[in-house]
Amino acid sequence: MSEEKNMVSRRSVLKGAAIGGAGLAAGGALSAGTASSASAAGADVHWTTRGGGATGDAIAKAVNDAFTAKTGVKVIAQQVNSDDFQNNFAQIMQGSPDDAFGWMAGYRSNHFGEAGLLADVTAQNKALSKSLPASAIQAATNPVDKKQYIIPTTYYPWALHYRKSMVKKIGMNPESINTWDDLIKLMTLTKKKGLVGYSLGAKGGWEAMGTFDILNARVNGYKYHIDLLNGRAKWTDAKTKETFKYFAKLIPFMNTNFMDISWDGMRDLLLQKKTGAMLMGSWFANDFKAKSQADYDDLWVVPFPKINPKFGIDTIDAPLDGISVAANGKNVAGGKALAQFWGSKEGIDAAVAAGDTSIYVSKDFDTSGYDSFNKQKLAVLASAKNIMFFLDRDTRGDFAGPVVGPAIQNFLKNPKDINKILENTQAQWEALPKN
Amino acid sequence: MKTAATVKKNRSRRSLSKTDRFTLTAFVGIPTILQIILLWVPAAVTIILSFTYWNGIKLEDIRWAGVQNYKNIFVNNPLFYQALKNNGIWLAFFIVVATPLGIILAYQIDRGIRGHAIYESIYYLPVVLSLAVIGIIWNFMLQPGGFVQGLMGLDIGNAISIYGNSKINTWVILGIASWRHIGYIMLLYLSGLKSVDPALKEAAAIDGATEWQIFRKIILPTMQPVNIIIVVITLIESLRAFDLVYIIYGSPTIFPLLNLLVFQNFAGQGISMKGAAYAVILLVLCIVPIITYLRINFKEDLK
Repeated sequence: MSEEKNMVSRRSVLKGAAIGGAGLAAGGALSAGTASSASAAGADVHWTTRGGGATGDAIAKAVNDAFTAKTGVKVIAQQVNSDDFQNNFAQIMQGSPDDAFGWMAGYRSNHFGEAGLLADVTAQNKALSKSLPASAIQAATNPVDKKQYIIPTTYYPWALHYRKSMVKKIGMNPESINTWDDLIKLMTLTKKKGLVGYSLGAKGGWEAMGTFDILNARVNGYKYHIDLLNGRAKWTDAKTKETFKYFAKLIPFMNTNFMDISWDGMRDLLLQKKTGAMLMGSWFANDFKAKSQADYDDLWVVPFPKINPKFGIDTIDAPLDGISVAANGKNVAGGKALAQFWGSKEGIDAAVAAGDTSIYVSKDFDTSGYDSFNKQKLAVLASAKNIMFFLDRDTRGDFAGPVVGPAIQNFLKNPKDINKILENTQAQWEALPKN
Repeated sequence: MKTAATVKKNRSRRSLSKTDRFTLTAFVGIPTILQIILLWVPAAVTIILSFTYWNGIKLEDIRWAGVQNYKNIFVNNPLFYQALKNNGIWLAFFIVVATPLGIILAYQIDRGIRGHAIYESIYYLPVVLSLAVIGIIWNFMLQPGGFVQGLMGLDIGNAISIYGNSKINTWVILGIASWRHIGYIMLLYLSGLKSVDPALKEAAAIDGATEWQIFRKIILPTMQPVNIIIVVITLIESLRAFDLVYIIYGSPTIFPLLNLLVFQNFAGQGISMKGAAYAVILLVLCIVPIITYLRINFKEDLK
């Protein structure tokens, strides 16, 4: 209680500071130069919209305009190609970056935060702590230096998707796919009809990481998985091999051309009623809606079934996104204020009104208007105690893409070589430069 | 007479040397400086970086790694040997199949066979497309859900695995790359053939030389300068292959090539100086054969 009160007072203090800053800025404009340092919060703030096309621009404009209306600070926004921004992130952040932008939690913010490229937003998260769940703040905290380099905003579940109508047709109940045996039965019956049991894409090298993540968490638990990805457990361990045993059991049910398709091919398989089950991030659901309401209503999502009763369904891949502030931006204080606004109730409301369909972690986020699929997504997220961020955000960048991706691809091509592949993966981990 | 000539010579030398000096400085000096700044300095820095650990962010984080990056590539990394194999097959295929095909086509077209203008434009067409565009076109044709798979009545679920099938994808990729390379070589050779004196061929024919003998003993030797260019281009095109495969796969792991591995380890999220080491390996692989080849040829020229 007292802590909460503290937060409130802290919030109002901050608010006061912001207003004071704005006042000073106005004064500064009148008598130029008198309060140049204090007027920083009043200077323009630059925002990068990371992809999203027209919808992305509309959402950014809505939130940024609301920020301007509230604080009087002008926001200058630009949209960039998401992949380019991601690939050149270190260079952009060392140049003259925009002050605030949407970014990803986990290794991707912690790594660049430790390198001094992202500003510490611990104070902003603290100011938002009344609406942010403790788990989200925990997830946004760098385990190494205990600082936070991102204000958590949205997330989405990686879970098992299927079409209710197809499951009914093979004589199963779409509401109760709970166990590994249920999944096997679903895949077997679908395959009998000449369709794909479990659709997988492995072309990009990252799609199949989702299946590995969840299998490892189901077989060995969250802690082992995170330990493995951070070098505290070994790839050659019998436990890791056990995970790949389950992975191998899925291969006979997969489409044979998994090396030729990526996530969009997987989505199309489900969209065209060609596959029984698919593990993927729920972001693709909008494409079902775009095709027809009937297709969208037919889509369903459940947690990946339990395997080891010790862990049940206590873990899920739910990549957490948020807002980060560039440490080298021209207006760091302004960037922090804008980032905090994006994480606040007003910011979320503005984004949702502009067509944002993401699930926000904030307790202020109103889900009463949710349709049944979105409510089910929330239920799937709520069923898990531990949140993984996906393999390429849970481990270092020079390991995930260059080493684990090809290792899983090689396993899918030659499942019998798994021992050799895991030995090699472990050797490549040990060869990495230690920080 | 003598003195007048010397004066004239002197004057012309003097008057030339002023402008010469200026033109020489401008036309040789500036490109040389640019070349050094934009090419040799980065190359030298890359070589140095390949012996370090660095994530590309803060200069003070650079740590000496010795040959560790190279050791990681040679000892632990199956992708490297796959890439080496793929680049090797690419080079061999271009040397043995694609380049000779281009030369033969050029020779046939130069002989003026019927409809040669049509053939010429058909073979030349792919050359105007960049490899990236060619990648997009052939991806659209052969990927699951693509045009060819659709013609065969195959949907995504049962589409034939082509790009992902390691038994055939090498040959599919090489076929696509050759589609462009053959036209390119044909064009280069054709322009050279146009400058061969037809009297040479006629004389040989009168002396009773066969078509093959004329090609081998007359055309090839007179085309020596073009041949050098073609060999160098074939070498470089094979070793620097990147865009086509990158567009088709989007990632370097299914059909690894050295350049793709440079990119994966040197740009983006997985940045480490292993990428620099890959770049140095590629540089050595490109430069050594080219220099050797050029030296042999220029030595012959000097003789």
